[in-house]
Amino acid sequence: MRRESREYNYDWMLWSILDHAAKSCDGTKKEYENLCTLIPHFRDVLDALVRHGEPGRLFLNLLSDYCQRCISAHDNGKKVALTSFCVATPILYAFDMVPVCLEAMTVLGTIVLKRGTAEYLDYCCEVGFTETSCSAQRGALGAFLAGLAVRPDIIVCDSPGICDTNANSFAFASSYLDIPFYQLNYPPSLTDERATRYHREDFKNLIVFIQEQTGNTLDEDVLRTVVEETKKQDNLASELLELQRIVPSPVPGIYDLLLYGGKFMTGGLKIYTTLLESMLETVKRNAERGVSGTTSSREKARGLFCYIDHYTTNMRFWDWMDYNEIAHLGSLLFTFWQEGAVYAEDHENETYRIETDTMDTMIDSLADQMSRMPMVKQIRGPYDAPGMWLDDSLGAARLLHADFVAYIGTMGCRNTWGMVKLLARDLENRGIPTMVLYVDAFDDRIASWEAMTDKMDEFIALRRIGL
Amino acid sequence: MIAEIRDIAYSVNNRYVETWKNGGNKVVGFPCTFVPEEILHAAGILPFRLRGVGTKTLSIGDTYYGPVICSFPKCILQLAGQGDYSFLDGTIITNGCDSMRRLDECWRKAGEDIEGILPGFFYYFGVPHKVTDYSIRWFVDEIRELLSALEGHFETEITEQALKQSIEIYNTGRKLLRKLDGIRASDDVVINGEDAMAIIIASSSMPREDFNTLLEATLSEVKKSGAGMAGKKRLMIVGSANDDLDFIRLIEDSGAVVVADTMCFGSKSYVDLVDETTDPVDALARRYLSHSYCPRMFGYYKERLDYIRKKAAAARIDGIILQNIRFCDLHGSENGIFERDLEAEGIPCMRMEREYGPLVETGRIKMRVDAFMERIS
Repeated sequence: MRRESREYNYDWMLWSILDHAAKSCDGTKKEYENLCTLIPHFRDVLDALVRHGEPGRLFLNLLSDYCQRCISAHDNGKKVALTSFCVATPILYAFDMVPVCLEAMTVLGTIVLKRGTAEYLDYCCEVGFTETSCSAQRGALGAFLAGLAVRPDIIVCDSPGICDTNANSFAFASSYLDIPFYQLNYPPSLTDERATRYHREDFKNLIVFIQEQTGNTLDEDVLRTVVEETKKQDNLASELLELQRIVPSPVPGIYDLLLYGGKFMTGGLKIYTTLLESMLETVKRNAERGVSGTTSSREKARGLFCYIDHYTTNMRFWDWMDYNEIAHLGSLLFTFWQEGAVYAEDHENETYRIETDTMDTMIDSLADQMSRMPMVKQIRGPYDAPGMWLDDSLGAARLLHADFVAYIGTMGCRNTWGMVKLLARDLENRGIPTMVLYVDAFDDRIASWEAMTDKMDEFIALRRIGL
Repeated sequence: MIAEIRDIAYSVNNRYVETWKNGGNKVVGFPCTFVPEEILHAAGILPFRLRGVGTKTLSIGDTYYGPVICSFPKCILQLAGQGDYSFLDGTIITNGCDSMRRLDECWRKAGEDIEGILPGFFYYFGVPHKVTDYSIRWFVDEIRELLSALEGHFETEITEQALKQSIEIYNTGRKLLRKLDGIRASDDVVINGEDAMAIIIASSSMPREDFNTLLEATLSEVKKSGAGMAGKKRLMIVGSANDDLDFIRLIEDSGAVVVADTMCFGSKSYVDLVDETTDPVDALARRYLSHSYCPRMFGYYKERLDYIRKKAAAARIDGIILQNIRFCDLHGSENGIFERDLEAEGIPCMRMEREYGPLVETGRIKMRVDAFMERIS
């Protein structure tokens, strides 16, 4: 890693940029426009959010607030848990901890930093981590391994049984930095009684681990506040997704990122509820007017991403969708399987239900929620088993009237690369145009953004999508 | 006798399997050491560890798998697709690692396109990634479900008595393999690493009773041979699955002798015994799950490091080759920390990434091994 990259901590840089970005909306429009001329490297990413009005600005505030929590956790006497995007945050917030979501930190670095996370990705390899590992973790992990971010007090992941490369990143960090580690481990099935019992026992063991390692205790009132907030958020997300079924979709494409990004960082906190409420208001307005959520208010086509999005610098992925008037129908990261979710119709046994009666019911509810997080739910078993990847992709494509399905992942994703050709074939056989993009969502050096858009353009033209 | 064992290790099919099949008996393949072989044995079925030896192309493997996948399961799929595994009556797939567990879907889908390559019994066996009281309970249930499935499909009964007997036979084999370890660790090594690995591979490629007999005879023969290799640098191999005897020979051609390993086609497969005094299913679950020597068991790095230290000390090794198959991030990454920690203790290490399958990288590997030999000489 270059010396200048060690000048400032990674998480501090993110906070500094995002905090200033959030403040940029405090002035007048003229002041904002003048400011944009002075920040050539940041204005595109800033504008990508600001031009979406209140939800965009609230998301910037959320990012700033979250980064602030991360960098000041120890100063504020809070313990830090390094976690994965598929670890639901409510239990950690209930313990008054700060969950530092590794993938969220990678996304933020990728879209905000001028050179993305290349140096941090490579630093992992310098200290022994494989270059073929998943870039979703590796991007920010390099900073943590180099001591250029807050030192976690514990590491918690829930990908063993789901995604080896994800789990391996956290196990590596634990061994390399000598930090206590807990893994929630999932069986290959989801809905049977054995699996439920295992989920809950493992989750209760996590609580014991946190108590032992941090000295924090779980207060029933605090837990209830967080859980009730989570329930409220689930309802708002369900309403948003219901509206997404309308043709044209009234949901702006970037809301996909706002919905899951907000949840991965601040699920269970009031700040995320406020964001969702604001998003829903805009979507309802669009729906009443009968217009699409794109900037032009038109919709040429509807695209579903069956895995993840592309996080190239400046968030150009969502811009590209918007410019081409393609409604972004969400990705795998968009589904959380709460009771009542529109995609859960006829799949009620795959959902979780939040109950707040007693400490035990709340804990079990959170265990059930955790076991249905994106990826944790669908990728645990064979892709064509009931309730798994094919079922979920087909269900979402039909429900949301997708014109096409696209796969974007990372080169480290053994799991999906082990079955994505089969998934694509099955979707095509059912009449859904599907493309597999040989790119890396977090590392433009694998395939440039331009190469990716060329492929997408070609696919859309050849398959006459939207014509 | 060693020549016969080498024949077994150098090919997928062998005369023992042919004889077994000719007798009207069944064979079930499995790709990973987390499958309790005793269960199959107790059902009167030959447990056969799947391998990719002899693969010459990946035309089928690459059709179903994506591009950034470990070549070990791809080679297995290739051989299955070519019909080389036509002697299998069943296959049990595990979630040993992500590449391996997707063999389930890839093989099934290939079976829809290529007639006759999918064995009649095709079973997914889930193995937890941690050792706790509840994960062992879950694994006990999983084993019982496998028992029922085998009984149903093969119309057989697996009795407790048969299980106990199978455990005893397999423990005998493990004890004999440990004797082999002792011989390899002696000062004047009388068996090279290539032959030792051939023996270990044979243990999961032929009926265990025959293997035990053959190994006992081989050990006597080896002890008497007196063809010592004193003076050669003593190496240990750590990391990904490796059943490639050419790879070991290539290392030994550089003037070394491989005296120990911690691989799953090696000492990992016989390091622990199954408790013969308790309920057999419970004992199997505990033995197979508690042997956390594979990095798929996340969070057990210190235990694995300790195991390497002990093996290294017992075999008085001069250096360690930490190898992994490309895209095997579990072994590859852990090798990175092993290197840091073992080098700090004064044990020379070399990390090497390689492909599984036809040894196409001979020149590169030889150059790296030669350089390592220079370093430790």
